[in-house]
Amino acid sequence: MLSVENLNKSFKSDGGEVHAVRDVNFRAGDGEMVAIVGASGSGKSTLLSLLGLLDAPDDGSIEMNGTQLAHLDAQGRTRYRSRQVGFVFQSFNLIPNLSAKENVKLALEFADWPKEDRDARAEAMLAMVGLGGEKGNRRPSKLSGGEQQRVAIARAFAAQPQLILADEPTGSLDRATGQKIVELLRNAASTLKTTVLVVTHDEKVAQQADRRLEIEDGVLTEIA
Amino acid sequence: MNALRRGARNAFRNAMRSVGVVVILGVAIALSISMLIARGAVDAKISAVRSSTGNTITVSPAGFFAGQGGGTPLTTAQVTGLLSVPNVTAVQASLSERLSSTQTNLTSPTLAGSLGQRFGGFAGGASGSAGSLSVPIRVTGTNSPGTSLVGGANGGGTEKLTAGVAFSATSHADVAIVGADLATKNDLKVGSTFRAWGATITVVGIYDAGSTFANAGVLMPLATVQRLASAANQVTGATVTVNSLGNVSGAVSAITKKLGTAADVTSTQATVQSQLAPLNSVKTISTYTLIGAVVGAAVILLLSMLMIVRERRREIGVLKALGATNRSVASQFVAESTTFTVLGALVGGLVGVLISSPLTSALVSASGGASPTGFVRSGGGFTGAGTGFTPPAGAGGALGFRGFRGISNTLSQLHTSASWSTLAFALLAALVIAAFGSTVASATVTRVRPAEVLRSE
Repeated sequence: MLSVENLNKSFKSDGGEVHAVRDVNFRAGDGEMVAIVGASGSGKSTLLSLLGLLDAPDDGSIEMNGTQLAHLDAQGRTRYRSRQVGFVFQSFNLIPNLSAKENVKLALEFADWPKEDRDARAEAMLAMVGLGGEKGNRRPSKLSGGEQQRVAIARAFAAQPQLILADEPTGSLDRATGQKIVELLRNAASTLKTTVLVVTHDEKVAQQADRRLEIEDGVLTEIA
Repeated sequence: MNALRRGARNAFRNAMRSVGVVVILGVAIALSISMLIARGAVDAKISAVRSSTGNTITVSPAGFFAGQGGGTPLTTAQVTGLLSVPNVTAVQASLSERLSSTQTNLTSPTLAGSLGQRFGGFAGGASGSAGSLSVPIRVTGTNSPGTSLVGGANGGGTEKLTAGVAFSATSHADVAIVGADLATKNDLKVGSTFRAWGATITVVGIYDAGSTFANAGVLMPLATVQRLASAANQVTGATVTVNSLGNVSGAVSAITKKLGTAADVTSTQATVQSQLAPLNSVKTISTYTLIGAVVGAAVILLLSMLMIVRERRREIGVLKALGATNRSVASQFVAESTTFTVLGALVGGLVGVLISSPLTSALVSASGGASPTGFVRSGGGFTGAGTGFTPPAGAGGALGFRGFRGISNTLSQLHTSASWSTLAFALLAALVIAAFGSTVASATVTRVRPAEVLRSE
């Protein structure tokens, strides 16, 4: 269970202070897929950064299964990211000189998974996203966009995180492939009982989520 | 795959760049290693030459040298007075004389030849008509014969006593040690006698110096020669021994001041020093080039790594977002720069060893270190170092000049070799380069914020 209360984040810019996230409150249950929609500059990415502990909030709380995360130190945030959060990016962000399997194993390495289990776990995760067998040995450049995003999803779920943050996961894909990716995320969320937050501006993607939230000028509201 | 293996693998990510960086590093390391080897070779040569010159000073009457020239002999008192000069530990005096055919029954083993005829007109020199010219017998009176004739006492090579014994330093007896060729020519053995200045001289020893010139001479006690040649208290040369190489130039100044214009004071060291000047400049050049090459390699690697970090900024953000620690990501880049350095060191080490010899020769030649000046007789032992016998002043001093030319002739003959210390330096230099090259890159890595990767999406 993810619980966010009174979360605020502001930045100083040339034009003065920008309040990117304002008093954000929401909850998301295990296995639930929540879509956050909003225009460019609405505060989506900032919110995702705060939830992924890539940035520290000015105030407010982020609680994951009863553990307060908002005020962890840098080491604690790194540890949390490696074990409790998985990221899926719009442009996949796979390491180009590593194979698909090695990319997945990277997340297991950072999460300190037992070395002897990493191979099997990576293969299982790739099989889960439909990239079993020989494709696991291919480098990202030898995979299609959809396949790369599948690898990214396998990597994100590999260390059994409690939270997946997907930033425009279909943004670089055609509609049909994007549809499959969303289905994959949704299935993985329910199967692995992982909370998935999908940031998107694509209404069709958002409609497939269990709940939809809209962010505008840093203010998050639930869409009925 | 841990961070170090990932880093090493990343070094081959861009083949063109990797080859470029390795080649540039290799050239820099090759240059530094060859400079180190050159420096070592030059250093060894300088040390060898310096130690071979010994810590002796030659004192001759002003205008007189090796039986030639003119001037007034020094006195025994003047020469023994040199013992009071600071740092002087010993003074060996000698008196050079010649025995003409009317003064001795000895016959020189050396034929006059055209050189004898050309130089036969001096006083006490060769005698007889041009058709029957005979070479005078060279006699050196010395107060330091020792028991082992080492050091070029009579004109080259290393003299060894092959029969009999040496006379004592304070001997007044009518005895002599004769050169092997002179002994053969005159059928002399230990115990034989010959006539000199009307006295009967007993042969107590025979030496072999390995050269015709040296083996044609006679060594006698200084006091004996002074008495028989009517040269009481006269000395034509002295070899002054100083307690250390570092004090030689100071002693030269002090002796020059003490004897004034009466004597010519020369030290082999001073002459050798000027001969060694080109080598010293090669040493300086190689030192600066060595430092420059190592620093250059480090800067090249530093810039390369900064470029790579800049290129992979997004990737660094991704790794951090996935939970990689700063240390893990930084160690990945350290491993990458170390891989470049190790490859560069391997290439550079091999090339450096191969080019060190021609490069050293080129440097020495360019610095004027190789300046052979015509014919130089090899094996001219000009130093007084060694055990026992040291060259009587005058004879040894004359040979000294030949010795200097010999040095000049061999300055370019440097022996270059890669020792363990060279390899250890190469390793150390590689580590310094890798450390310097990756430190700034690592520091840059730690400043990359993972949130940047989301903002750039």
